[in-house]
Amino acid sequence: MDDRELVLRAKAGDARAFTTLVRRHERSLYATAYAITRSQWDAADAVQDALADAYASLKTLRDPDRFAAWISRIVINRCNGLLRRRGRVLPMDEPPEPQAFVWDGPEDGLDLMRAIQALSPDHREVIALRYFRDLKVADIAELLGCPAGTVKSRINRALAALEAALGRHSEQEVPR
Amino acid sequence: MNCSDVRDALEAYIADDLTDAEQAKLAAHLATCDECTAAYERTRTVVADLKGIADAFVPRERFVPRPEYAPRPAGGWGWRIAAVAASALALLAMSALTVPALARQLPLPLAREIDALEEENESLQQQVDELSVRLETVGGEEVAIVDSAPGDLSPEVNAAIQLLAMDFIRARYAGDLDALAAMGTERLKADIAAHPQDYLRPVGAEIVFAQMTEAAVTEDGTYLVFVRLSDSVEWTDSQYQENFEIEFIDGVYLVDFMGMDA
Repeated sequence: MDDRELVLRAKAGDARAFTTLVRRHERSLYATAYAITRSQWDAADAVQDALADAYASLKTLRDPDRFAAWISRIVINRCNGLLRRRGRVLPMDEPPEPQAFVWDGPEDGLDLMRAIQALSPDHREVIALRYFRDLKVADIAELLGCPAGTVKSRINRALAALEAALGRHSEQEVPR
Repeated sequence: MNCSDVRDALEAYIADDLTDAEQAKLAAHLATCDECTAAYERTRTVVADLKGIADAFVPRERFVPRPEYAPRPAGGWGWRIAAVAASALALLAMSALTVPALARQLPLPLAREIDALEEENESLQQQVDELSVRLETVGGEEVAIVDSAPGDLSPEVNAAIQLLAMDFIRARYAGDLDALAAMGTERLKADIAAHPQDYLRPVGAEIVFAQMTEAAVTEDGTYLVFVRLSDSVEWTDSQYQENFEIEFIDGVYLVDFMGMDA
């Protein structure tokens, strides 16, 4: 069953359909929140709160095909809210081993996440939305309320920064 | 198309977001430019790596809609317990406070077994019902001595009491008897020495859910705080309440008694 059908069922009151949607999206939403908040526990809080928001406001989602972008927006909002509050509180140190999640990826995958987390907030956001949430540039632009060109250039700069951080940078400048 | 144009469009090329004509132009450039081809390979690799970790983070907590939003409790049982425990505690005229912060301070918080547990809904519901009844019964005597109107204590005192209880629970799950003794009065120290097993949780137990009341103080100056916990071990005692009696001695809060209720 695709997202659209599940959203329609959930809107009709089928809590099980919503749970299925949650299970389908929770990992990439968590990865997105972890990239942005840089705290594995804040990420869990942000996703839990966002899913509660989403469940409460599901009726306001007019186009069921846009669920993926819509729920991403809600998670981003929750993350930014947490980060604003974090501005006044010292974040907890991240433990060397993950505790709030189980790692189910390649051995060096967490290095990549750390490299993402070292990017600027704007760049973390677009990388997560583009590659974890698999959204189109146009959807990201709409979601962030900025021009598509801005999203594209942020993605390009973020990718270049990641390549550099991971030691894959070019030794030659791009001829202009 | 020059190199700069190509670099700007590489990401879209890799994502197959270009028009056929643009795609063809870019491919033609790559065929003749080693630098851009190398850049293409680097970007393609990092994009593939990024996509490869999107689903690699498996949250330990199973996310569920909260009961206040749900037409009926659905999904994870932790929230259902929360609803029942919260209402039972509310009956005791205490303000219940869910403590996600507690879970995050515990060594290995949050559930991994919810899927299996969800299948046991029927017996679970029965246990939840019993839990609420037990809570009320337990409350009858224990809580009568509690002057429990929220706001009795200053936020600082309340936080200090709750933090001590959290630290104590964390030490229990860590199996750290020395840490437990360091947080206790002489009476508690002696009790830990005499009955160490009473203060430890089974090896491998993890907190699934935690909830605590605001601290209250009795007429004789003993601070009380009740913590509702669920852990992952076995059903018979995996949902329980710890009642703390805490004394303020020589400027330090110390646990004087900790008792487990069903």
